Amino acid sequence: MVRLHTNFGDITLELDAAKAPLTVANFLEYVDSGFYDNTLFHRVIDGFMIQGGGFGPGMKQKSTSAPIQNEADNGLSNAAYTIAMARTPDPHSATAQFFINVADNGFLDFSAPTANGWGYCVFGKVVAGTEVIDRIRQVRAGSRAGHQDVPVEDVIIERAERC
Amino acid sequence: MLKPAPHTRFISDLHLGAERPHTTRLLLDFLADGARGAAALYILGDLFEYWAGDDDLDGAPQREVCAALRRLGTAGTRLYFMHGNRDFLIAQDFAAAAGASLLADPCLVDLHGRQALLTHGDILCTDDTDYQKFRRLVRDPAWQRAFLARPLAERRAQIEALRMRSESEKSMKTAAIMDVNAQAVEELLRRHDYPPLLIHGHTHRPGEHALDVDGRRVTRWVLGDWDASGDCLYCDAAGCRRLPVSAERP
Repeated sequence: MVRLHTNFGDITLELDAAKAPLTVANFLEYVDSGFYDNTLFHRVIDGFMIQGGGFGPGMKQKSTSAPIQNEADNGLSNAAYTIAMARTPDPHSATAQFFINVADNGFLDFSAPTANGWGYCVFGKVVAGTEVIDRIRQVRAGSRAGHQDVPVEDVIIERAERC
Repeated sequence: MLKPAPHTRFISDLHLGAERPHTTRLLLDFLADGARGAAALYILGDLFEYWAGDDDLDGAPQREVCAALRRLGTAGTRLYFMHGNRDFLIAQDFAAAAGASLLADPCLVDLHGRQALLTHGDILCTDDTDYQKFRRLVRDPAWQRAFLARPLAERRAQIEALRMRSESEKSMKTAAIMDVNAQAVEELLRRHDYPPLLIHGHTHRPGEHALDVDGRRVTRWVLGDWDASGDCLYCDAAGCRRLPVSAERP
């Protein structure tokens, strides 16, 4: 389990190392190294997801470790309050950024091992703090530093730790 | 949603082609989302890895990219395209399909109250004399007319052969001669009366360089190339900054 201490409250995550071993190990490495401390939920779209773990305050992008193999073909679905890895259009490009689904987003699931079909790898779920996520998803967001859907007031992951 | 200040974006060196579908998708995302709201988008060359002629508009990435550019234009962003050393055969049919205006290289524009000189950048790589000779040949209107008169398949094959040769020659050249020549940069700025900004791509060496040319201060911005992630220069009245093209998403 991992707890994200945010300025909106605590979010507790249960990770599924059996279904997504590489993704969980990768996520825990970032947790243990303190990478996520003082990063933002920088992309918030109510009715869809909240994304974070890659930018510091002021939308400063952090440099990450190497990308990992996509494990989205593990049968886990992008249901509400699951956590999954964000990535570039390259299916095997996830590094540190993750998102928490705030709706059932089955269209993000694996369908085929192709560029369009790989989907986004779910590797855990929220077991406490869904009300915190509900408050975060409703914040006002807009364009900032050339990015869309950035909260007007910072939503900060102050610390991430195993629990 | 908050409305951003009036701003302009610059990109270059995407090298789109069948080999890199992920870069095409990154651009399509960018055009549908990240670039929305810009007063203007400038594409400073090498949007495509090669361009065999405007009769090749129906090919795989070309059609999608043109449609996405047109949508961005319809949404209110003015589009400008400057030739690169790869896609120098792009012409009016492409411009019409994309809803873009073609720019001469170099070209001086007003950027939110400041003069900016735009170039793809290959004219500045004067140390590479073989390339400059090649450039003069292929930019010659008579050469282009003769080349475009050949069948499309033949043009494609010839470009493919040329690309292979260029790749193997590039590996023999030193890094230094493939960067801009400092005197060529100064000469170009002098000729255009020292605009405060010079923006170019081509070298794949993204950066910001503060120059002093004859006592005048100029900032040279170099755009980065695209692959799994992209690079974009964002300018408004307050200044310019490089932004990663928001790559990671669901």
